[in-house]
Amino acid sequence: MQLKKQNKSNLKALLTTATCALLGGTVQAATQANTEETWEFDTALMHYSETDRVSATEVIIAGKKTFVNDEVLSLKLTFDTLTGASANGAVAQPTPQTFTRPSGNGQYTIQEGETPLDDTFQDTRVQFTGQWTQPWWEGYTVSVGGNLSKEYDYTSISVNGNIARDFNNKNTTLSIGTAYAYDLIEPEGGIPDPLSAMLIGDSDDPSFESEFNATRIGSDDNKTTFDVLFGVTQVINRKMIVQFNYSLSTSSGYLTDPFKVISSVNANGEAQEYLHENRPDDRTKHAFFGQTKYHFDSGFLDASYRYMTDDWEIESHTFDVRYLIPFSNGHFIEPHVRMYTQSAADFYQPFIQEDAPLPDFISADYRIGDLDTYTVGLKYGIPMDNNNELSFRLEYYHQAPKSNGTEAIGVLNDVELYEPIDAIVAQVTYSF
Amino acid sequence: MSKNRVSKTSSSRTVQCISRDNGFTLSFFAMASLCEVLIDTHDKKLAIRMGNVAANEAWRIEDKYSRYDKNSLCSEINANAGNRVEIDDETYHLIEFIQQCYDLSDGEFDITSGVLRKAWFFDGSDNIPSKKRVNELLNFVGWQHIEYSPTYIMLKKGMEIDFGGIGKEYAVDRTIVLLSDIANIPVLVNYGGDLAVSGQKKNNEPWQVGIEHPSFTSDTSSFVTLTSGAIATSGDANRFLLKDGHRYSHILNIKTGWPVELPPNSITVAAPKCIQAGFLATLALLQGIDAEEFLKEQDILHWSIR
Repeated sequence: MQLKKQNKSNLKALLTTATCALLGGTVQAATQANTEETWEFDTALMHYSETDRVSATEVIIAGKKTFVNDEVLSLKLTFDTLTGASANGAVAQPTPQTFTRPSGNGQYTIQEGETPLDDTFQDTRVQFTGQWTQPWWEGYTVSVGGNLSKEYDYTSISVNGNIARDFNNKNTTLSIGTAYAYDLIEPEGGIPDPLSAMLIGDSDDPSFESEFNATRIGSDDNKTTFDVLFGVTQVINRKMIVQFNYSLSTSSGYLTDPFKVISSVNANGEAQEYLHENRPDDRTKHAFFGQTKYHFDSGFLDASYRYMTDDWEIESHTFDVRYLIPFSNGHFIEPHVRMYTQSAADFYQPFIQEDAPLPDFISADYRIGDLDTYTVGLKYGIPMDNNNELSFRLEYYHQAPKSNGTEAIGVLNDVELYEPIDAIVAQVTYSF
Repeated sequence: MSKNRVSKTSSSRTVQCISRDNGFTLSFFAMASLCEVLIDTHDKKLAIRMGNVAANEAWRIEDKYSRYDKNSLCSEINANAGNRVEIDDETYHLIEFIQQCYDLSDGEFDITSGVLRKAWFFDGSDNIPSKKRVNELLNFVGWQHIEYSPTYIMLKKGMEIDFGGIGKEYAVDRTIVLLSDIANIPVLVNYGGDLAVSGQKKNNEPWQVGIEHPSFTSDTSSFVTLTSGAIATSGDANRFLLKDGHRYSHILNIKTGWPVELPPNSITVAAPKCIQAGFLATLALLQGIDAEEFLKEQDILHWSIR
């Protein structure tokens, strides 16, 4: 022990130096050699089905790869097919009604008392999104991404960028983001002349096509959307995290739905003609979003609230609560409740009287009318080998359009102006 | 000192993730030990990712430095004793560290001592080898006979090296380096009782760590609180020889080839890095009866079991 006695005072210090070389010197080489950069995948099959209306099937393949230096690449491919019928905006009548298809190719008839649905609603959509996120310098994270979505008659391209800064030992994160989107619509049959009457004639008549074309103003139109988002995320304690976002979204261009009409009725409520709707070509939305996640001993709560208001005078409130309950065998169950309520746009009307002055903007689309929706659902997750996970989701969705105060007149008192819609969502997800 | 080993084939290389208060425990089997990584986060994906990084590192080090794995670099070096074997930067740094441990311990810490196991079988029997046999084997022991450079190592013919004394501790430290690169969150890495922590727990709360020991009964087990740094344990109460009432420990004095007299059954040492703690614990055991005194003189925090 002679030599050790000499080293008595500095054994620890000498050891520190020796260790520094060992653990400092090999970080780079060893990191390259061993940290596995693997892809994580989520695949999902979702089916959405409204009673007697639209049904949609969606396949999602999402991949995420995390690189050694915390760079994250996310890619997602979505295929949708939509089939079925959707409301064309006209009101039900005590007599059958005939409409011309938006394409000009033929007509369809709606039975008395039924909400007019356009049954040619059929589309396939392919959507691709990519996002790259990486640490920037000390405490900063940047993220850029893009999205491309293509349907038969609709193309959407968007890009986004986001920068986040961590403070306070990563307990606080501030972020600012922006996104720009360009959408092009090329409806079959062209863009209808706003407020013009739908041509209802004999579609076999040789002059029908030229008359139909007279109600069209072009083959396509577009809109642009610019979003800005500010967010703050705060870790409250080891069990709780909260997040607040504000977003500003401005759209301009063609915001009208070329497939929607509004019934023009006489004093007895009987439809005389169907006018193509028209919406303002600008819209500014403000959205405020708050979310909290809380880890209880028995599970995880995820609750959020969103308030949205825009210059079309639509206001909406969304409450969303999920509670994940893990079981000791690793399975989990997650009940989900969502409530949504919205007030109508100022130019929304369920119908218009033929002798009333025609406003500049008008729409009978229930989706911008007074509307409540409810969702209740359940998700069940099953862990698989190698941290893979299989989950099932089943949700019931109820849409209840409401009156904006417009009094029904004449025959409209005898029909359902605000028909509720029930839908079921079923989803299977496999993550690996 | 190497501990009881279990065949590697007895377990598959998978990482289990279990939820617990404040986060997750990721566990896997590596280096003949149950390995656990405790991560204080509620982000399960992050925890799983970090667990995988930890496991891959532990397995990588096992594959590279285990003398039980015929395909390891360690086996390659041993099989080619007498010839130069190419080494990479990591191995060079590890060998440099071992060289310094050898120097600091005045030659008592020596990873070539494994050859003596050909004479000593610590199976609880009275099977004491002859002095002649031990002296023969001592010809093949001695780190000073190892020739190495940043690019190669060469053992004398008949010699063997064994990273078992520091491999697990090195894996713990490497894992801490990799995990703290991923996220600055509280982590405890425990590879078969050799462990280290990183990141500050909420309210600077310490980790509670049980000192593991094969002979522990519930009334002697003790808890250590750890806010930073590492601890490592050396010793094994179940490995000794008994002859004529004399207990021969399995801790061999490299100079004589004979067991050290009256070392503690186990000694646990705290140090900033696990590999330091491991070296100090082994060195302390080599002091035999003076083990605790040695650590006390060096002002090193330790827990001894006799």
